[in-house]
Amino acid sequence: MRVHLLVSGIFLSALACTANRSADQGGTMYGETITLADTTRISEILSHPGDHVGQRVLVTGMVVDVCSKRGCWLELASDREYETLRVKVDDGVIVFPMTARGHRAVVEGVVEELELTEEQVRERAQHHAEEQGLEFDPSTVTGPETTYQLRGIGAAIFE
Amino acid sequence: MSAKSKTATWRKWNNVLHRDLGYLCAGLTVVYVVSGIAVNHVADWNPNYAIERRSVTISPVAGDPLTPNVAVGILEAAGVEGELRGSFRPNPDTLRIFIEGGTVNVPLAGGTAEVEMVRERAVLHAANFLHLNHPKKLWTWVADIYALALGVLAVTGLFVLKGKKGITGRGAWLSALGVVVPFVFLWLYL
Repeated sequence: MRVHLLVSGIFLSALACTANRSADQGGTMYGETITLADTTRISEILSHPGDHVGQRVLVTGMVVDVCSKRGCWLELASDREYETLRVKVDDGVIVFPMTARGHRAVVEGVVEELELTEEQVRERAQHHAEEQGLEFDPSTVTGPETTYQLRGIGAAIFE
Repeated sequence: MSAKSKTATWRKWNNVLHRDLGYLCAGLTVVYVVSGIAVNHVADWNPNYAIERRSVTISPVAGDPLTPNVAVGILEAAGVEGELRGSFRPNPDTLRIFIEGGTVNVPLAGGTAEVEMVRERAVLHAANFLHLNHPKKLWTWVADIYALALGVLAVTGLFVLKGKKGITGRGAWLSALGVVVPFVFLWLYL
């Protein structure tokens, strides 16, 4: 009986440790530990993307959207009006919760350039519209696009 | 010890191992079954969150839309309850208001605002959290051990019975069928 209790206790303790997702920096941590101290403004990255592609940066902003099904991306509001930066993470490696919307996040990652064909732009827009429960308007896609995103490595969300 | 007796002892321990591992794995297997079916159909529904969308008609927005007072006024007029978290303008014509548990997309010129309320599916969210190894860390080891235990269960299960219902009879045919099924689908889809 004692052995059973001991084994159960160890198992439950292990689970408790696992569930205690760290609260470093006052936020819930996702992925790897944030190593950079200085933030780069999102507006700066999007104004001069060529200067930042391939660089590891730390950005901050309000989470304005999250992938609803897999939590595999989020969008951060820029410090400039009407502008956002998408943070993409590998499926399952980091999973952002939908409840992060409206909260501030700090994200470290590498700036990427994506060259999308017109078909890829259409597919992405259609997928996004479906996720949002909105009607997809194909006329909004006018041609191939070059976009920039952050390949997320680690993040803290302050809920 | 005779060969017959050795076989009996071997099978006895095989069955003990199969039985006790089965007991140990039953709980987590149910979790994985529920989550497995749920995430298999992720294209058709959201296995983690229940999302409710509705439309409300609102008047044109007066004042600076990013001011909390204005956002609260819009929420009250739209009959949307929830603590205000913040707001954002995705474009010059729209205001997105974040509240606890949802968002409201508001056309600043007035018209139809879209309210989206999100609620975690309590049991499924927890099951998916474990099944898809979102916790990482120590849970990775627990899940690995569980996977190995399932392997041992499968192998010991082959030898539970002897005779014509065991692995030398009916069991051989059913086991072979189980191996063939994935190959048929690989042949079909690859």
